[in-house]
Amino acid sequence: MRAHRDTRILLSVLALLSLGPVVAHAAPAPYSADGLYNLANSYARAGKPGLAVLNYERARLLAPTDPDIEANLRQVQKSAKVPQATPSAFERAVTIAGPTTLSWTGLGGILLLGASLVAGTSAGRSASAGGIPSRYRWLRRLSAVLGLALSGLTVCNAVVVWPQLHQAVILTPATPVRVAPVPMGDPLFVLPEAETVTMTAEHEGFVLIHSHGRSGWVAAANIAPVVPH
Amino acid sequence: MGLCAVARAVAAPPPVNVTLEPRQISLGETAQLTITSEGMGMDGITLPQVAGLEFRVVGQSRRVEIINGATLATTSVILRVTPETAGIFTIPGMTPNSQPLVLRVNPDNGSGSASQYNNPNLANRPPLAAGGSSTNGIRTTADGAAFVRMNLPKRDVYVGESIPVDIEVGMRAGFVQSLNGLPTLTGNDFTLNNLSRKPERVEKLVDGKPFTVLTWHSVLAPVKPGTFTLSVQSPLTIRVRTRAARDSLIDDLLGDPFMQNFFGATVAKDVTVSSPPEDLKVLALPTEGRPTDFSGAVGSFKIASDLSATTAAVGDPLTLRLHVTGTGNFDRVDTPMLEHVEHWKTYPPKSSFKESDAIGVKGEKTFEQPLIASHPGPQTLPDLTFSYFDPETRRYETARTAPPPVTIAPALADATPGAPSSATAGASATPGSPTTAAAARPAAAVPPEPSSPEMRPDHAITAGAATSLVPLYLRPTFLAVPLLALAFAGGWFGMRHRGASLGISRGRNRRSEASANRLLQPMRAAARAGDAAAFFTAACIALREALAARWQLAPEQLTADDLAARLAADANPDAAGVLEIFALADEAKYAGRDLKSIDYDRWTQVVRSQLLEAT
Repeated sequence: MRAHRDTRILLSVLALLSLGPVVAHAAPAPYSADGLYNLANSYARAGKPGLAVLNYERARLLAPTDPDIEANLRQVQKSAKVPQATPSAFERAVTIAGPTTLSWTGLGGILLLGASLVAGTSAGRSASAGGIPSRYRWLRRLSAVLGLALSGLTVCNAVVVWPQLHQAVILTPATPVRVAPVPMGDPLFVLPEAETVTMTAEHEGFVLIHSHGRSGWVAAANIAPVVPH
Repeated sequence: MGLCAVARAVAAPPPVNVTLEPRQISLGETAQLTITSEGMGMDGITLPQVAGLEFRVVGQSRRVEIINGATLATTSVILRVTPETAGIFTIPGMTPNSQPLVLRVNPDNGSGSASQYNNPNLANRPPLAAGGSSTNGIRTTADGAAFVRMNLPKRDVYVGESIPVDIEVGMRAGFVQSLNGLPTLTGNDFTLNNLSRKPERVEKLVDGKPFTVLTWHSVLAPVKPGTFTLSVQSPLTIRVRTRAARDSLIDDLLGDPFMQNFFGATVAKDVTVSSPPEDLKVLALPTEGRPTDFSGAVGSFKIASDLSATTAAVGDPLTLRLHVTGTGNFDRVDTPMLEHVEHWKTYPPKSSFKESDAIGVKGEKTFEQPLIASHPGPQTLPDLTFSYFDPETRRYETARTAPPPVTIAPALADATPGAPSSATAGASATPGSPTTAAAARPAAAVPPEPSSPEMRPDHAITAGAATSLVPLYLRPTFLAVPLLALAFAGGWFGMRHRGASLGISRGRNRRSEASANRLLQPMRAAARAGDAAAFFTAACIALREALAARWQLAPEQLTADDLAARLAADANPDAAGVLEIFALADEAKYAGRDLKSIDYDRWTQVVRSQLLEAT
C-alpha cells in the first residue's frame, strides 16, 4: 500500500510540473514561421537582402525542416553574394522536427525515464505489494531506452541550435567592422549586407562579431540579432 | 696695397711719437691713431692688439723739413681705431719708453640699442649698430644700414588674447651682408607664436634711401597682466663704415657700397638690431559675468551648426557639427557641445581648425560630435552655445545656434515580424514599422507571386505561432521541469533505496530469530520435563540442521568425524560445546546414563548461538 502511495505522489508531482511548460507555451505568440517566411519573401522582393535573410533565419528557427525557407534563404544569399553554411550530417539528423516538437519529445522522454525508474524500485515486490509483475519488466526497460533516446535527441538538437541563437545578420551594405566600439574607430574590414555573423559581446551600442576567422565591432544599428533581445 | 705694405713689421727706426684723437668716442664712431717716426719708412711697425678694438691702416705720410741746412724727414702712419663694444680700452705703448694710450668708448646713445645694455640676456651678443635717425616710427642704425620695427595695436590687450603683429626688418641694400636669424622678443612676458618662416619681401624708400624690408607676421600672446615694455630684435651682419662720420663725406659721395668696400670704407660686423621699445598694457580677463562654459577664447566669433542628416534610424550615428568662425585665439576655442541629451547617446567631439590667414588668428574651427538616437520620432536637439570674451566690447559674449530638427525612424534592427506591414507593399514597403505577426497574416492569405522565378512562393499561414524564437526547451520555465523532475525522482529513489535496505536487514533478523526459536522449542520442553535424553536428542537435531545448512549438506550426510573436522576448520569457538552435546546425546541414548546435574540453560545457549550463526 505504501509503494502504491509513493508512486502516485511521484506521478502527480511530475504531472504538475508538466503544467509549467503548458502555461508558458500558452502565452501570446507573436512569431509564426509562415509569417516570418512571407515577410522575408517580401523583403527579398523589395531588394532588402539583409532583412530577408534575417527573417528567413528566424523562420528557420521555428520550422527547420521547411524546404521553402531553406531554398529561398539560399537563393537570397546567393544573390547577395554572401557565404552559405552547409549543415553537417549530424545537424541534419538531429533537426528532424521543430524545436517545439522536440521540446515536448524531450519532456516525454524524461517522463518515460522517470516512470521506468519508479517501476524499477518496485521490481522486487509482488504485484499485490505494488510491484510490477515480472512479465512486464521488458516494458520498463523499453521505456527507459526510449526515454533516454528522446531526451538525448532533444539535447543534441539544443547543441546544434545554440550557436544559431547568437547569430546576427548585417543589414546595411558595406558595413564597416571597426577595431574599437566607437564611431571613430578605425575600420578593419567591410562586411556585405545579408552576411550572417556570430555575436560575442556588446558594448555601448556596438556588437563584437566574428565572421570567418575575423572579428571586430559593428554598430548595433547595422546589425540585427536573429533572436531579438 | 701700398698702405698694406707699410703694415709689415720692420726693424728700423723706432717711433718717436704716438697720438690718439679723440680720446673719447661713442660706439659706432672711430678714433685716429697716428704713429710718427723719424726717417723715410716705417716698415717695422707692428699693429697693436687690443680686444674690442680694430686697427686698420688708412694712410701714410712723409714730411721733410730743412732746418739750418739740415734735412729732417718724418714718416707718419695713420690707423683707424674702430671699437666693437663700449668700454675703456688701453692701447699699449708702441715703444718701451712710450706711455699707453686710453680710449674711452661710450655706449651708443642714438638708436634703440640702449635696451641691449640693460638686458643681461644680451650681454654676450654682438654690439648694436650705432643709433641713427628716426622718422615715421622707423629708427635706423647709426650708419643707416638697417632697422627693426614692430607694429602693435594701439589699445590695451587682455591676457590670452592673440595679438597680430608685423615685424619689419629693413636692410639698406649693400650695407647688410646677411640676416643671421629670425626676429625674437625681448623679455618673457609675451610669447611670439606662429612666426611665418618665409617673410614678405618688399623694396621700400626710407628717408629717401632704398631699403629691402622683410616683414614677418606673427601672433603676440601676453601671459600675465601688467604694463610691459616690448621690443623685438634681429641679428644681422652689416658693413660698418670705418671712418668717422665727419670723415666719411667721400664715402657718401662714392655712394655705391661696392666702391666703398673697394676703398676699404666698411667692415663686416655682427650686430643685433632692436626695435624701439614700446609699452603695452595687458589687462586680466574680468571675473564678473564670466560664463560657466567659458574656455578662454578671446576674440570675436560667430557660430553655426548643422547635422550630417536630417533623417536617420534609431542607432544610426549622426554627426552634429559646430562651426566657430572669426578672429581670436583659436587654440583656446573649445566646447563640449552636447552632453546627456535625453533619447540621444552622445560622444566627445573632435575638432579641426582651418585658418584663413598665415598666422592662424582668423579661420574656422569645426567641432564634430557623433550622436546616436535611441528613440524614434521627430527630435529637436538643444541649442549649442559658445562663450568668449570680446576685447573690443570688453565683455563676455555667448553665441547661440539651434541645430536643425531631425526625424528618427525605428531601427532596422527592430524589424520584427510584420515589417513591412503588408507583403503586397513590395518594394515600397518601409522596413522597420513594428507590427505583429497577426498583421502579416492577411497578406499571406493572398500570396503574391515571387519576383524571382527561382524563389518559392509565400505560405498560407497555418502553423501555430510561438511566443519566442528561443526553442521551448531552452526557456527557463520549460527547462525547470525536467530538472525538478529529475531532482525529485532522484531524491525519491534514494530514499526508497535506503529504506528498502533497512527493511531487508530487519526482516532477515526476524526470520533468523523465529527459525531458531522453532528448533529450540523441543529442547526447552525437554528441559522443563527434566528429560535429558530428549533434550540432547532435540539439541543434536537442531545443531545437525543448522550446521548442515551452513555447510550446504544434507543433515544425514553429517557424520561425527566430519563434524569435528569442519568445526575445527571453521575455528568455531563453540566447537568443544557442540561436540560435547553430541557426545552427551549418545551417552544418554545408548549408555542410559542419568544426567541429573545438567545445566540446560548453558547447552541451550550453545545451540542457539549456532542456530543464529547458521541463519
